[in-house]
Amino acid sequence: MKEIMIKARNVQKSFGTHQVLKGIDLDITKGEVLAIIGPSGSGKSTFLRCMNFLEAYDFGEIWLGDQLVGYRKSASGALVKDKPARIAAVRARMGMVSQNFNLFPHMSVLENVIEGPIVVQRRKREDAVAQARSLLDRVGLSAKVDVYPETLSGGQQQRAAIARALAMNPEVMLFDEPTSALDPELVGEVLDVMRALAADGMTMVVVTHEMAFARDVADRVMMMDDGNRVEIDTPEKIFTNPSHPRTAEFLQRVLR
Amino acid sequence: MDYTWHFQIVWDYRAVFIRGAIVTAQITFWATLIGLTLGLALGLMRRSEMVLLRAPAATFIELFRSTPALVQLVWIYYSLPILTGLQLSNTASVSVGLGLHAAAYFGEIFRAGVNSISKGQWDAARAIGMSYSQSMRRIILPQAIRRMIPPFINEFASLIKLTTLGSALAVYELLHEANNLINSTYRPLEIYTVLAVAFAVIIYPIIYASQRLERKWQLRQ
Ligand SMILES: Nc1ncnc2c1ncn2[C@@H]1O[C@H](COP(=O)(O)OP(=O)(O)OP(=O)(O)O)[C@@H](O)[C@H]1O
Ligand SMILES: [Mg+2]
Repeated sequence: MKEIMIKARNVQKSFGTHQVLKGIDLDITKGEVLAIIGPSGSGKSTFLRCMNFLEAYDFGEIWLGDQLVGYRKSASGALVKDKPARIAAVRARMGMVSQNFNLFPHMSVLENVIEGPIVVQRRKREDAVAQARSLLDRVGLSAKVDVYPETLSGGQQQRAAIARALAMNPEVMLFDEPTSALDPELVGEVLDVMRALAADGMTMVVVTHEMAFARDVADRVMMMDDGNRVEIDTPEKIFTNPSHPRTAEFLQRVLR
Repeated sequence: MDYTWHFQIVWDYRAVFIRGAIVTAQITFWATLIGLTLGLALGLMRRSEMVLLRAPAATFIELFRSTPALVQLVWIYYSLPILTGLQLSNTASVSVGLGLHAAAYFGEIFRAGVNSISKGQWDAARAIGMSYSQSMRRIILPQAIRRMIPPFINEFASLIKLTTLGSALAVYELLHEANNLINSTYRPLEIYTVLAVAFAVIIYPIIYASQRLERKWQLRQ
């Protein structure tokens, strides 16, 4: 029995009257790479953002290991919003990489990477710097350590953002369409870094439109549609013989 | 018309002008200090999700922005001793009054500056486990302050000009000293000319610097 890293139970979320997540269940095991696919507006980003509580879910539970994310059980058993410090602490255990990189523009690449370790984890500066240099080397940016983000290409910015997330030594990495803002010729360099990360055994949740990546790298693929988990299975099964017509239809459209 | 200018008089009384300029500088200094500190608090409060913080800040800001500064100064001058029991000097009272006035404007500058930073920066800061105050101090404010500096400088320049309102409350700043001088010398043209030039010489470089900064930072974005 593999250790469960993230457990989601009946997760629901609405924006106003619009229900965006309609009760999602999911278990992600340690070291697993899960790809989430589905049409635009199906709730993929929202679900990912609920995992590290950038978005507060309204109902259900999300667990990181044995820690409930964002809420605690009160004496009566009802869920109440957790203290900000505890929410921040559970977030720090997950790395997140978003479509728009969101590097800190007023800091050099190195400063971006050591910011979390020094300010949040209160690690010694020289340790943080040493680790940052080795991470930046790993994502192929050792020549860009001291430059500012605005001078980097999109692919380089995204690799720097991955290094920044990894510097926190996260237990899970969450990716939200990490390549969809990139010029086509820059997509490969970012996917290569993610492949290497997966091969190292990192637990990863990847919302992606890169079907080739999902097929080759993911252990399982989850298809979402209209706030529901339509199906979840191995890439072979999903891509060759999906059990749900919505999946077949979606794949036909994107793989054309 | 042949009017003979006598600028010599101004030079003879230069000590009076310098005395006035020092008071003007003092009022500006204290008003800026009060305005910045209180303005930061007001700006942050007005962004809060809590109505109890947001509503008083909004009321304060809108009240001070929609009434004349002179009325505010006179009101504070007469009501501060009654409300707080504090008997301030005229100069201190004007400094406080202009400080509150400036705080309303600085507060709006802070708020607009912070709001101009994209939500993605907050997300990135929170995703690495930063608290609200860490995100604000380390990520948002350093970027926002850049955008605040040009409007801040403009506001600072108007604040210097507003110190002349102190003359209405018998504060011996530049305008008041100038008026006294006119009463004894009967040379209003010379004295007001020099006064206007003095303000322009102080304020124009400030406005110029603000425009330069604004252009430079616009180019870099
Ligand atoms: N902050 C928000 N406020 C209101 N509605 C929102 C908000 N965020 C997302 N939504 C809505 O929720 C729905 C799901 O959005 P979400 O971003 O999760 O979809 P997605 O599957 O990631 O789509 P895409 O592939 O386009 O990124 C959409 O209809 C969107 O308009
Ligand atoms: Mg999305």
